[in-house]
Amino acid sequence: MTAGTYDTGLRARPDVFALLPRAVAWLAIGGVVALCASTGATVAGYATLAAIYVVVGLSLNVVLGYTGQLSLGHQGLVGAGALLAAYTSTAHSAPFVVALLFGALAGGICALVVGFVALRISGLYLSLVTLVFGVTLQQSLFEVNALTGGGAGEPANRPHFLFSNSRFFLVCTAFAIAATYLDYRLTKSKAGRAMFAIKADERVAASMGVNVVGYKLFAFVLSGLLAGLAGAALAFSSQQFNGSDYSFNLAILFVLMTVVGGVGSRAGVIVGSIFFALLGSLLPTLRPFKWFAGLFPTQTAANILQFGPGFVGALLLLLTLTFNSGGIAQQIAPVVRWLTGGRFKEADHASGS
Amino acid sequence: MPPVLEVSGVSVRFGGLQALRDLSLEVNEWEIVGLIGPNGAGKTTAFNCIAGVQRPDRGIVRYRGRDVTSVPAHKRVALGFGRTFQNVGMVKTSTVLDNLKTAQHLKADYSAPAGLIGTTMVSIRERELTRRADALLELLGLTALRDRLVSSLPYGQLKLLELGCALATDPDLLLLDEPSSGMGPDESEQLADRLLALRAEFGLTMLVIEHHVPLVTRVCDHVYVLNFGELLTDGVPAEVRAHPGVIAAYLGSTA
Repeated sequence: MTAGTYDTGLRARPDVFALLPRAVAWLAIGGVVALCASTGATVAGYATLAAIYVVVGLSLNVVLGYTGQLSLGHQGLVGAGALLAAYTSTAHSAPFVVALLFGALAGGICALVVGFVALRISGLYLSLVTLVFGVTLQQSLFEVNALTGGGAGEPANRPHFLFSNSRFFLVCTAFAIAATYLDYRLTKSKAGRAMFAIKADERVAASMGVNVVGYKLFAFVLSGLLAGLAGAALAFSSQQFNGSDYSFNLAILFVLMTVVGGVGSRAGVIVGSIFFALLGSLLPTLRPFKWFAGLFPTQTAANILQFGPGFVGALLLLLTLTFNSGGIAQQIAPVVRWLTGGRFKEADHASGS
Repeated sequence: MPPVLEVSGVSVRFGGLQALRDLSLEVNEWEIVGLIGPNGAGKTTAFNCIAGVQRPDRGIVRYRGRDVTSVPAHKRVALGFGRTFQNVGMVKTSTVLDNLKTAQHLKADYSAPAGLIGTTMVSIRERELTRRADALLELLGLTALRDRLVSSLPYGQLKLLELGCALATDPDLLLLDEPSSGMGPDESEQLADRLLALRAEFGLTMLVIEHHVPLVTRVCDHVYVLNFGELLTDGVPAEVRAHPGVIAAYLGSTA
């Protein structure tokens, strides 16, 4: 018999038989991480990108999912973090950790600026401003030769002990886990609840005593710190900063992975971020996809391989928005519930994950 | 002693529409004061001015003698203003319990960054919030709804839960915007009992926007009638009901 068959009102005590399969499942997830770290530099490289995108996805989720502010300029925050991390580590030979901190700080400060704008305007116009903000950063600050080392890019060399891709992947996994923990704490503490209230209705939030101005800025700064950290990790991952990498396309990708993952859902955003991090590099190497492209003339085939990931992303976005507004999160909800100790089948009342 | 709430000469204009013209009213300690009037009379605008989400063009709002006209809404909550909304002011995507905890925002005595780290202090404070939320649910007899999503509940129950949220802010002056809407006659009868009990137990002072005449007659000590943004008349419920201008403007035959 499973616990909780009778509704006694007592808390269902976890027993060994309920814990064991979950422990196995979690170990399997850990095993995948270990496998990524030990299979070689190429796999570790892909996995690193996935871990970093998890941080970006969670960062965007704070403003978009929790506070309800659509930022189309997140690549600007990520880029600012990458730029400052690369600059401080190369031009001022700052230690790795210091460069990371500067990267996070750069993202946080840029986000604070966007946050001040968000106090005045909202909705479509805010999205427009963040879009312009991100694109402007990319085309101005990210192209300053003194900071970025010109067309060759500013190097961002990893310290010796992180020289192997596998080790660096583990560091980025630690960042992803830390970001996930922060996100969990956020949703379980007053700051997260304040943000949900702001997203629902600013007047209602204020009538509950929430300082709407303060918590909007808090959300942007927290999001910016995470985005900046992710950017710094990104720079160290490719060991250089290139302004052209942080184009508007990247901002769209970030929004895609958050929305398709499931806005406001931690697990959904994590899965969505990993999926989109791998989609771009792995889809063109998949055999069925290559076979499909091979059916067309050479030039067309090259185009299909090049634009395939973008097309798949757009298709998934449309499917999400029209048929499945909860995103991936909606689909994986039973699994997540089970992994975190709940029942696989939904109880009669759902609580947010 | 100054009145709990004193509104004097408040005017609000939205473009070409004079939403409120020179409104003055007073709510004294322990009173339940009604604010009635036909749709579009400016009741909710008056509420917004009092709660601090709308800055009046002219006039002063005083709370216990202190001028709070330029104090923002969330700081008025800290002073002791509690408020409900015409269309249920709750976070629909959260559970009932989370809403009651959100409403205790100012009682959550830890900093936001500490909440992110998750110190022992935070979990102690969070448990306190949960305990108080449970106590409020018990008071309102809604314990069964504790873990339900707000979006899954019927309107009548939400109005009651919203009252719970307003109480969770630990108010001194309660501003209720149509608390009985969506309730049947029996439920609104119970609501009247509840409001009187709340006043007796917690010494609350209330200003209530309400359309339901029996409720107003039963609970209100004093009633102000708004029409086209202006004060039509005020007095005890019986007087107001008999006032020919009020009957013409609003009450019609139901009085």
